[in-house]
Amino acid sequence: MNSAAFASTGFGFKDPRKLSFERDWIRRAVLASYWIVIILAFPFWWHLTSIERLALPTSQVRSQVQSNIVFPIAVHFDASIGQQNPSLNSQVQALLHDCAINEPGRWRGIDLRLKDRNDEVTSSQYTVALGEQTSIAHSRHLRVSKTDAQSATRLSSILSDLIAPPKSSTSHSQRVVQYSDHYRLAFTLLNEDATPNRFVETWDVQAALAEFIFPLMSRLSILHNFTVESQVQYYAPLAFEPKRLTLGDTEASGLTQEDLTVFINSAEWTLASSVSNDPVLHFVLFVPSETHSPMNIIDSEGRPTNQSSFLLPQWGSIFILNNELNSSSLSYNDLKPVFRNFAIQLAALLGVPPVPIGLSMEGGFLSDWQLDALLRRRALQNVQGSQDTLHSIVKLVDQINNMPVGQVVRDDVLDALTSLHEAYRTAAASPALALRWSSKALSMASRAFFNPGMLALLYFPAEHKYAVYTPLFASISVPLVVALIRDFRAWRRGSQNDGRR
Amino acid sequence: MRRASIWIFLACLCIPSFALYRGEIYSEDLRIQPLRDGRVSTTFSFITVLEGAVPRNPKALGQLDESQHYALFPLTLGQILREYAITELHLTLNAGKWNYDNWGHPHEAGVGTGAELWAWMGASEVTTVDERWSGLRNALSGLFCASLGSLDSRRTLSPTVAFPLSGSTPTFAPHELRHASLPSESVCTENLTPFLKLLPCKSHAGLAALLNPQKVFDADWHGMGIHVTWKEDTGVELKLTLQAVFNPVRTSAGKRRDWNLQSLFDRSIERSCPVASSSSVTVILPEEKGYQITPENPAHINGLVIYDLSSSSNFTIPSNIAMYWPSEHSFQYPLPPLTPVTPLSVKRTIHGTTQTRGVLSISVTNNSPQEISAGYLEMMPALLTLWMHTLKVEINSQIRSDLLSGLKYHPPSPQSNDRLSPSMLQAVLTIPPKTTLKLSMEVNKAFLKYTEHPPDAMRGWDLPGAVFFPLPQSSHDTSSSYDWERIYTPTLLVDLPTPDFSMPYNVIILSCTLMTLIFGSIFNLLTRKWVVVEIQE
Repeated sequence: MNSAAFASTGFGFKDPRKLSFERDWIRRAVLASYWIVIILAFPFWWHLTSIERLALPTSQVRSQVQSNIVFPIAVHFDASIGQQNPSLNSQVQALLHDCAINEPGRWRGIDLRLKDRNDEVTSSQYTVALGEQTSIAHSRHLRVSKTDAQSATRLSSILSDLIAPPKSSTSHSQRVVQYSDHYRLAFTLLNEDATPNRFVETWDVQAALAEFIFPLMSRLSILHNFTVESQVQYYAPLAFEPKRLTLGDTEASGLTQEDLTVFINSAEWTLASSVSNDPVLHFVLFVPSETHSPMNIIDSEGRPTNQSSFLLPQWGSIFILNNELNSSSLSYNDLKPVFRNFAIQLAALLGVPPVPIGLSMEGGFLSDWQLDALLRRRALQNVQGSQDTLHSIVKLVDQINNMPVGQVVRDDVLDALTSLHEAYRTAAASPALALRWSSKALSMASRAFFNPGMLALLYFPAEHKYAVYTPLFASISVPLVVALIRDFRAWRRGSQNDGRR
Repeated sequence: MRRASIWIFLACLCIPSFALYRGEIYSEDLRIQPLRDGRVSTTFSFITVLEGAVPRNPKALGQLDESQHYALFPLTLGQILREYAITELHLTLNAGKWNYDNWGHPHEAGVGTGAELWAWMGASEVTTVDERWSGLRNALSGLFCASLGSLDSRRTLSPTVAFPLSGSTPTFAPHELRHASLPSESVCTENLTPFLKLLPCKSHAGLAALLNPQKVFDADWHGMGIHVTWKEDTGVELKLTLQAVFNPVRTSAGKRRDWNLQSLFDRSIERSCPVASSSSVTVILPEEKGYQITPENPAHINGLVIYDLSSSSNFTIPSNIAMYWPSEHSFQYPLPPLTPVTPLSVKRTIHGTTQTRGVLSISVTNNSPQEISAGYLEMMPALLTLWMHTLKVEINSQIRSDLLSGLKYHPPSPQSNDRLSPSMLQAVLTIPPKTTLKLSMEVNKAFLKYTEHPPDAMRGWDLPGAVFFPLPQSSHDTSSSYDWERIYTPTLLVDLPTPDFSMPYNVIILSCTLMTLIFGSIFNLLTRKWVVVEIQE
């Protein structure tokens, strides 16, 4: 019964090849549309999962790195000098030219010209005239004594020391702090131990600052802004035991050169500032305890020196107070030698060139000659720094293919390039403006270099991406490929059959 | 540029002349109170006053600040206060549960478990209060080595009624409050070391020499606080406090409650701090008799014995202050029922067995014979959703909604950075004398993304304690209210639905397999060739 019913329905089967959807071309169209969707989607997927790497202005960076900042300087010789020795001008010019060729590092970025007559008087022109003695006057004026004015060698060496101060040694570059447009100056009075007999409770820091530090700050305000702060600490022990010295019948303690390098006890002295990223220059007045007093700095042979202060490169300066203390507060007069010293150290830390030997200065803390030389050197350093940084960014991005380069980095690089260009352009007119631009270029370039976005995907390489997608893609692609091959074979067999027919 | 710098220079010259007259006064005090359960409560307070100083006007934030010259005030903290123009700042870092019933009110009200930070700042267009709040958190977490940086918008609220300005109100700008607490913060030596460095004599001299981390962190309860306030007539006051509740019965061999400074701290005061204008140890004498105290001091004032340790006094240093009970062989704990010392006792619990919902219930007992009105503040991170319609106030299982008034509720609101701010519930509870009021409401527990869980997710989340505070008194009914301070309830631990953190890759594999299955079957259906196979029989 059942079998009969089955047989009757079995005979009712349509031939599957006659069904409307069972056509070869429909099946192939379905298969083809799958493949088309996959092929069309592939670029989107590739784009969405790839790292954003915007093109950096590489050629622009390369060309900027080649070019250099140049400060044209005009020195005008007064007629009074030319009277004695008419050929002096050309002699000095020749000597300076030789100098520039012999020491290209020192004269980098300086285009010096000597002038005879008052051809064109610009604001940044330096003048040299005859005077009583060789001295620097303010407003870019140099007075030369009669004897000095006769010697071209002497004159050229004075001029070159003033305009391109010698980079005395390697210690110079290590001592000077990195350029920043804002510094914090932290003045700290440290009592090693607050025993009633020998400790300083208060100090008249503000009078001393106003006398010695503020004038220097106001002269340097064209380069930097400063924040001044001061504090007193009553228990600031040393991290080491100073050497005992016996000088005749008195006891003293001595600091060796090695001790000076570990003098700062950062674990116990709270000198660090936590609110800003501005560089801090520390000026420490250290009052040794009763047992360690007087405290001397000793030389390599163990003999005490008469130095009572020392400078820690790029950090600040320390003054050891060995005076007899009459009261528990330090008056302005007590602080005078200390702060005079601090002012000199501050100038040294900021890279102010010293007055050439044999020259006196007429009043004031800093002459315009020194300030200009400092401005030029800082601008040159900033320009070199930003060029190096830009070059490194381009090199790094070229080397590491996985490093993302976002819009922010690109904008920063472009900004740095524009600022660099501005610095070159304004160098002739105003070194101060060139410094501003070069400082902006440096900060932009380092911001681009240290952009946290550039590191994000370094630790997530393409292999991870494949590992996540393989379970999906591999298992989907198998039926797709198999169906393609099967259909292709069927089509070939079909066409062969057709051909045979 | 040049002209501006000259002006700045002139300003620099003018300001110091003003600052020269600014005096700084430092005083220190230690209060020791034997408690009835044999413990000893000690409170150190170190106060530095900057006379005549004024908080920075936030409107001048864009300009260069005046120079800061300090002798006693810590510069590192002064920099933070100036940088973010903070008018008032309170930071407490505590560990343990303050037992109000047995110990009474603490000398410093801020005893909430974990870290609590609140600051009053003037509003300004230059930088917003929230930007400065974020800077302040980060600066303080750097200074105190605490994880205050995580007190972000998920924890920050502005409960102005419970945490009013305790000093004067500056007139230069309208002021705003930011408050956040982190109950899971653990307090340890790394927080005490920077704390001690803020003191003028550090831990080398004066009372701070007693602060031995090994002993302080062995105490049953310990906490430190930094409070900066501004009072118009005195100036900026910095108060550093450290409280610890020691248990001599536990640490002594003979189970006695005798104590002395040497046994409590394992240190002694070798010398006094030379810059402290006053330095004193105050012992609060217990009410029952039978104790003896050495050294004998004639100055008994209102049950207090005061020892002056400042260098000017003739008190001999080193000294060891001791209190002992000669007639007592070993300490007998007082037996229950004990009457609580404070007028209010609060219990707060969360029940419910599931990971999705529960009931938050609070029971408040008024121990005094007078009616008490108390402010109730709940600052709940968005981990829990409070359902206000289920709020019930009961006394002896009878609904008494009339005892609840002034209800204010801010539901969690989404912040700009895709986070939810905490919800804030504030109400006034009136508790009849000698009764217990029960308040309960249903809560829902949040389902978090797996990246939002902490590394020890299975432990659960700490919820900050609720705060009960006395209401600002109106002038006419001062007689009716008891003298009491802010009360913090202990923290709660809530168990949220926690995923299995080994899962992400498994999930990828599983879902990929499922998708392949679906794709494969549909694809096969669409491209399969159907044929009739005729079976020859």
